[in-house]
Amino acid sequence: MTIDWSWISDHTDDLTTLTVSHLQAALSAVLFGLLISLPLAVVAHRVRPLRGFLLGLSNVLFTIPSIAVFVLLLPVSGLTRTTTVIGLTIYTLVVLLRNTVEGLDSVPTKTKEAAKAMGTRPLRTLLTVEFPLALPVIMAGVRIATVMSISLVSVATYIGDGGLGQLFTDGFQRNFPTPVIVGVVLTLLLAVVADAALVAVQYALTPWTRRRA
Amino acid sequence: MYELFKNLGDWLTSGEQWAGPDGIATRLAEHLQYSLLATLIAAAIGLPLGLLIGHTGKGAFVAINLSSFGRALPTVGLVVLVFLASGLSMWPVYVALVALAVPAIVTNTYAGMTAVDPDVKDAARGQGMRGHQVLFQVELPLALPLIMTGLRLALIQVVATATIAAYVSFGGLGRYVFDGLAQRDLVQVMGGAVLVAVVAIALDLALSALQRVLFRHRTA
Amino acid sequence: MNRRTLLGGLFAAASVPALSACSSGITSLDSEGTTTSGGGSSKGGLTIGTANFTENQVLGYLYAAVLDAAGVKTTVRPNLGTREILIPAIKGGDIDLLPEYQGALLHYVAPKATATEEGEMQNALTMALPAGLQVLPYGMAEDSDAFAVTRETAEKYGLTSLADLKKQNGKLVIGAAAEVKTRQVGAVGLKDVYGVEFKEFKSLDSSGPLVKGALKKGDVDVANLFTTDTDIQAEGWVVLTDPKNLIPGQHVVPLIADRKADSTVRKALAGLGNALTTADLTELNRQVDKDKKDPEDVARAYAERKGLTATG
Repeated sequence: MTIDWSWISDHTDDLTTLTVSHLQAALSAVLFGLLISLPLAVVAHRVRPLRGFLLGLSNVLFTIPSIAVFVLLLPVSGLTRTTTVIGLTIYTLVVLLRNTVEGLDSVPTKTKEAAKAMGTRPLRTLLTVEFPLALPVIMAGVRIATVMSISLVSVATYIGDGGLGQLFTDGFQRNFPTPVIVGVVLTLLLAVVADAALVAVQYALTPWTRRRA
Repeated sequence: MYELFKNLGDWLTSGEQWAGPDGIATRLAEHLQYSLLATLIAAAIGLPLGLLIGHTGKGAFVAINLSSFGRALPTVGLVVLVFLASGLSMWPVYVALVALAVPAIVTNTYAGMTAVDPDVKDAARGQGMRGHQVLFQVELPLALPLIMTGLRLALIQVVATATIAAYVSFGGLGRYVFDGLAQRDLVQVMGGAVLVAVVAIALDLALSALQRVLFRHRTA
Repeated sequence: MNRRTLLGGLFAAASVPALSACSSGITSLDSEGTTTSGGGSSKGGLTIGTANFTENQVLGYLYAAVLDAAGVKTTVRPNLGTREILIPAIKGGDIDLLPEYQGALLHYVAPKATATEEGEMQNALTMALPAGLQVLPYGMAEDSDAFAVTRETAEKYGLTSLADLKKQNGKLVIGAAAEVKTRQVGAVGLKDVYGVEFKEFKSLDSSGPLVKGALKKGDVDVANLFTTDTDIQAEGWVVLTDPKNLIPGQHVVPLIADRKADSTVRKALAGLGNALTTADLTELNRQVDKDKKDPEDVARAYAERKGLTATG
């Protein structure tokens, strides 16, 4: 299994396009996943009876094969990027929801009571006290969800999308290892870079955690 | 919508659908075989590795980073790569599924080991226990809950991902998903998806029951 | 009773002029339409979708090459899946143009169609296609489905035609893409027309690495391949003859959404259809599969060599 280096140098433009498209799909999914998870997590955190139901539901969704989700979305959103992003978003929920709920749980009751005693309104407490304190746990979830999404985007190649995943089906059909190897390596690189960037974001967002280190 | 669910119900309950070489019973058995064998191999690799790192404290940084790196491995790419190297065989399926399961097992085993109170380990050594005795009689039982969590997570992912076997010509419940895609037969796709989810949840429940039995034994 | 007849008569009388006016309206609109632009416009550019095998991608990029030269902006979306996925996608508007194959497309839209001759099939297609879709004139190049066996298998069971398979009913394994199991030009037709029943249908791919690998390895006895696949000759495989004409002629034909079918597109694709031969297409497939060239480059080079990209 040899690598055809000239193929790589001849295809830098295509590879860039695919990488950007890959990253865009994964990041959109995490973003939509957060938009759904944050409010749901608040509900799950405050309304105990719903907690098990919401977490259980996200767990069940996680057991459905991703390829099936993409196919079942075809009648709804067709062969589009939307299908890819909806499918990926569903898989981010299991991590994002659980971590956000755990993050909110980890905020000490005393801290919340102190905010209440100072006359801070509940919504304000949520936004300025609870979420910031839960941030490390939430960000841990965001990191896992991002890496997972980056790895999962390629499954959408079966419905004609999939970013770098297109290199896999192409290499498969033509018995041509080079695009496949390049696709795997670029996916891994993308995951490492995205993860490092998220660590940097978290560092910038949580200055108060640094003193301990 | 109602029509779709009615057809799905018919599909799942028809005797004809369950019988024969491409019937649900056969596909189910194949799917279980791929998933359980892959998880067993992954456990055989991941458990000793996680225990060793956790016990000695050596190589943790490398192993944990490799594990999170492993989580980013695109399964489709890995399957195709091994296919191109090995031709038409079960290798692509097992390599990809094992690679998927090992990281979860290693990280959770390691996390379980590090969560054991150092005082407890010291006390065990103080009583004259040897290294392997501390590992198997003290650390391992205490780390068991997290180890089991890792195994359950790995198994769920493997069951959902074993659908990929159908992409490289093999069976399992993924057959219904891939064939349904090619034929645009949504009932078949949904049937396959539901069966995979049911298998994943059933196996998870079974493992959690096993976990409870193990604990009862330990505390009694 | 009387009143009802009277009313009925009134209605009938009243509706006659209305109907004739209406139908003349349609004819005049129709003739007006074809003389001007064909109703559609490719001004905003169009999206070409292709199926999940090499040749269809080559054809998609060939369409793109000649259309780009004619000033139509195109986007190619390669490797979208099977016909079963693509037809709903062109109806839904995700794509506008597809390289298709006459017989296979006809059997998809009209499973009971009996036409086998090219002209008849073209007419039948025009009648059977869902509203909003049309086929443009078919090209010279043809790529049929073929059912092939290895030389050893052919000798062992004495196989030369599809009819011979019946003698081995319940013994042989067939390998083909999953959609072939439910298609007339596939397992369904083999049973209906030749009475052939296989021991097992193995879902593989469209003349790709799985089905060819399985045939080579002996995992399947009969394989569904494309006649433009150079491996058939290279491997010495035996294509079973089709005395009862189960497999229709498969000339390449552009399937296009009405909304995009204007005279520029028609002219450019007709030029390509008249130039591209089966041998050309086979060679282009080979360059992509064996020489690992990009379908896009191969298509562009061909279009330029044949003078199909000369502007004007």
